[in-house]
Amino acid sequence: MNGHRYAVDVPVGTSLAAVLRDELGLTGTKVACNEGHCGACTVQVDGVPRLSCITLVHTVEGEVTTIEGLRDHPLVESFVRADATQCGFCTPGQIVSAAALVAVSPAPTRDEIRHGMAGNLCRCGTYPKIEEAILHWRD
Amino acid sequence: MELRQPSSAEEAVGLLGNGHVALAGGTEIVPLLRDGLLRADALIDIRRAVPRGIHGTTIGAGTTLAELEVDPGIPVVLREACRLAASPQLRAMGSIGGNLLQATRCWYWRLDFPCYLHGGDRCHAKDGRHDEHAIFGNDVCASAHPSDVAAALLALGTMLRTTARELPLAELYRLPTTDDPQTTTLADDELILELEVPIPEASVYLKAMDRQRWSFPIVGVAAARTAGEVRLGLAGVAPVPWTLTSVDDLDRATPLPGTAYKLPIARALVARALRAVATG
Ligand SMILES: Cc1cc2nc3c(=O)[nH]c(=O)nc-3n(C[C@H](O)[C@H](O)[C@H](O)COP(=O)(O)OP(=O)(O)OC[C@H]3O[C@@H](n4cnc5c(N)ncnc54)[C@H](O)[C@@H]3O)c2cc1C
Ligand code: SF4
Ligand code: FES
Ligand code: FES
Repeated sequence: MNGHRYAVDVPVGTSLAAVLRDELGLTGTKVACNEGHCGACTVQVDGVPRLSCITLVHTVEGEVTTIEGLRDHPLVESFVRADATQCGFCTPGQIVSAAALVAVSPAPTRDEIRHGMAGNLCRCGTYPKIEEAILHWRD
Repeated sequence: MELRQPSSAEEAVGLLGNGHVALAGGTEIVPLLRDGLLRADALIDIRRAVPRGIHGTTIGAGTTLAELEVDPGIPVVLREACRLAASPQLRAMGSIGGNLLQATRCWYWRLDFPCYLHGGDRCHAKDGRHDEHAIFGNDVCASAHPSDVAAALLALGTMLRTTARELPLAELYRLPTTDDPQTTTLADDELILELEVPIPEASVYLKAMDRQRWSFPIVGVAAARTAGEVRLGLAGVAPVPWTLTSVDDLDRATPLPGTAYKLPIARALVARALRAVATG
């Protein structure tokens, strides 16, 4: 995970999100709905965004990237520049999804952004600014 | 709880049943386990036991909706149904086999009200809130099957191959009755392995949602013209994915007070879909 290896011992049924937060202290990954609806808990497995709250940790095979692993990603700065954060609770998940999107499509159109980011809800309604942040992520 | 990871379908079938439940992407099963709506002594991770990928007209049941959404060889109706289903993360995790077997989204059922589908003696939705519910097949249970994908596959005339049999997709489903709440005919120790999807001459999927993305269907209409014959599959209108044999079937709908608004939507989408696949 994020370029490191960890050994954890948890019962079958434990979610990846619970291991990240409670076993490894990586609390950048948020849990809001805990049932697959909101995207706050998004992490990447081998570059593909997944919902860690409904992923059983024993079934994960591959390199996990969390928001902590994206500390130096240019998207972090561009979210700040675009003021794409209000309460900030959804932001880690937004950036993890956005990083996966721009890795596949470095110059995404607005429509691609809306399609690729549809699984990350923001109850503060920062969507227009998130779209701007992703459009201009390399500026 | 235990986790087993069999490497073949035969091995998986030997492990299933008696409280041992198949797990694919887990998008449906994990929330159900957590909410106590499903009990399992063991989870059987079937990802190595079930084929994944697209070979001509054959789709492995382990193929994800994300893989189907972008494959140019997949008929438009199915690609579009996948593209409009759930969210990007869920499409990357969820398999097409699991999608066909998803449980109802009826809020009474999800909140564990003792209704028919939980073995009880009534439908709480009919007496209560049911605006997302059915307009067909709602004698007993009035829930609305949420699979966009199944509607598309019905319109395409899909055949399923399981570990026990081959069957048309429509035969995977049954309407629940007062003494048997099952909505599928799949045995506890039966796995869906592959789907055989004919290539149509023209096809389309139209989905009415309460927002433009990332929403269950209010009504989904799939139409496909194969060998000159048009077939229609509907999502969000009955406790199971629904086929219309002709437009006149819409006159036989049985809407509830809260679902009456779905009928004009279904009529409009069916008319539009039929125009879209009509011969030129
Ligand atoms: C919040 C949310 C929103 C969604 N929105 C939509 C939507 O708009 N439209 C839509 O069509 N779908 C929607 N879905 C459904 C989603 O597509 C399915 O949850 C997903 O495809 C299920 O696949 P899975 O591999 O995760 O299944 P699992 O959760 O692993 O399994 C689901 C069920 O199928 C069984 N199973 C899985 N594979 C097989 C197999 N090969 N043989 C036999 N049994 C099997 C399991 O035992 C279990 O009972 C939504 C789901 C969620 C959670
Ligand atoms: S619609 Fe079906 S699932 Fe919902 S309360 Fe009625 S019987 Fe139960
Ligand atoms: S916390 Fe995982 S999707 Fe909401
Ligand atoms: S900034 Fe508050 S939920 Fe998105």
